[in-house]
Amino acid sequence: MSTPLLRVSQVASLSLDDADDIVRRAQAGDVSAFESLYRAHAGHVLTLCRRMLRDDAEAGEATQDVFVRVWERLTTFRGQSAFGTWLHRLAVNVVLERLRKTRRDADRLIAGDEDMFGARSQTDDADTVMDVETALRSLPEGARSVFVLHDMEGYSHEEIAQMTGIAAGTARAQLCRARRALMKLLSA
Amino acid sequence: MTNPLHLTEEERHMAADGSMGPEDLVVAQRHLRSCAECSADVERIRGLLDRVGQSAPSPVSTSDVNELWPAIRARIEQQKVVAMPGSAPVPARRRAIRPWGFAFGGTAAAAIAFLLFARRNEAPTVATDAVAVADSGGGAALIAVVDSTRAFEQEAQALLNHFELQRATMRPELARAFEHDLRVIDVAIAELEGAIASDPTNPALRRLLASSYRQKVDLLKRVDNAS
Repeated sequence: MSTPLLRVSQVASLSLDDADDIVRRAQAGDVSAFESLYRAHAGHVLTLCRRMLRDDAEAGEATQDVFVRVWERLTTFRGQSAFGTWLHRLAVNVVLERLRKTRRDADRLIAGDEDMFGARSQTDDADTVMDVETALRSLPEGARSVFVLHDMEGYSHEEIAQMTGIAAGTARAQLCRARRALMKLLSA
Repeated sequence: MTNPLHLTEEERHMAADGSMGPEDLVVAQRHLRSCAECSADVERIRGLLDRVGQSAPSPVSTSDVNELWPAIRARIEQQKVVAMPGSAPVPARRRAIRPWGFAFGGTAAAAIAFLLFARRNEAPTVATDAVAVADSGGGAALIAVVDSTRAFEQEAQALLNHFELQRATMRPELARAFEHDLRVIDVAIAELEGAIASDPTNPALRRLLASSYRQKVDLLKRVDNAS
């Protein structure tokens, strides 16, 4: 008999033991338990994907990829960190892989697109002040990734370096440039 | 501090976001007290960080979440191959383990019988709750399945060796329960290998075999955790 599906609010209010039990059931192949995990974490993952990938449709595809990867790797989750932390790290890796595949060149992903810094897209109204999420989409991918990971998701430069394959110093430089570009966009 | 006159770009950002080391921070703060230009710039960066911190992300609606699930489910069901409702055994609880073994044996036997029947009637594809859709005879897919079977088989053997060492320290009833479930899976594997011997190019049978080995690996991992 499959596990009854839990709503997000129910999952959020579960005790640690109950949450562990859902993870264990999902690890044993219970798709209903996995769906409960999906519903509890999908919002955060989709937000991350939307911030790091400019296109909403691509963010949806990436979210699918993340949860399929989570399903594949569930048995490797040993409970050494919180499930949400493990899933989040995996989600970041999936998005970064996607960005690399899209650009086919990790160096260009991180270092390129100089002209795009602080540039508004043609659809933006030059007289309106942008909100943060819109301004973020105006940044080149490499700078946007570093900014989202550092200033929004709380990863250190060393962790970002490890995940993206760039040097920590390069990540710092990208962050400075991304912040300057955002300041320009948000104050316009 | 590399520039005695002004903070560098990086130093300003580090002073604003609090990531500067304590010694550098003392020097930077001393400079900021006397330099209006750097101080104003650091405040501007802090303003951005505050704004980012306060900005709510674009809301994710329930319908967004609902829309994505069916495709995810379809993709994981394709990998799952053998669906095992109620297959959620908690380690060290015998009553949760036994039905799992029976369910697996029954499902695998039914799947083999159905596959062989369907093959005999030349059905182009096989798709039930218990069996994933077979690839349309792709050689690469078949090779991949054979490879994954070998990998699971090797992992199962390694875990089995470990289990043999652990068995002496396990509670006897728990060891018996695991051995029973292992036998059920081994019987299913033997039946599948027999079926594959008579129909070696049937990808669905190969997938079932890979899945059986995977279930064996999962069971042995649970034994490992339980002990």
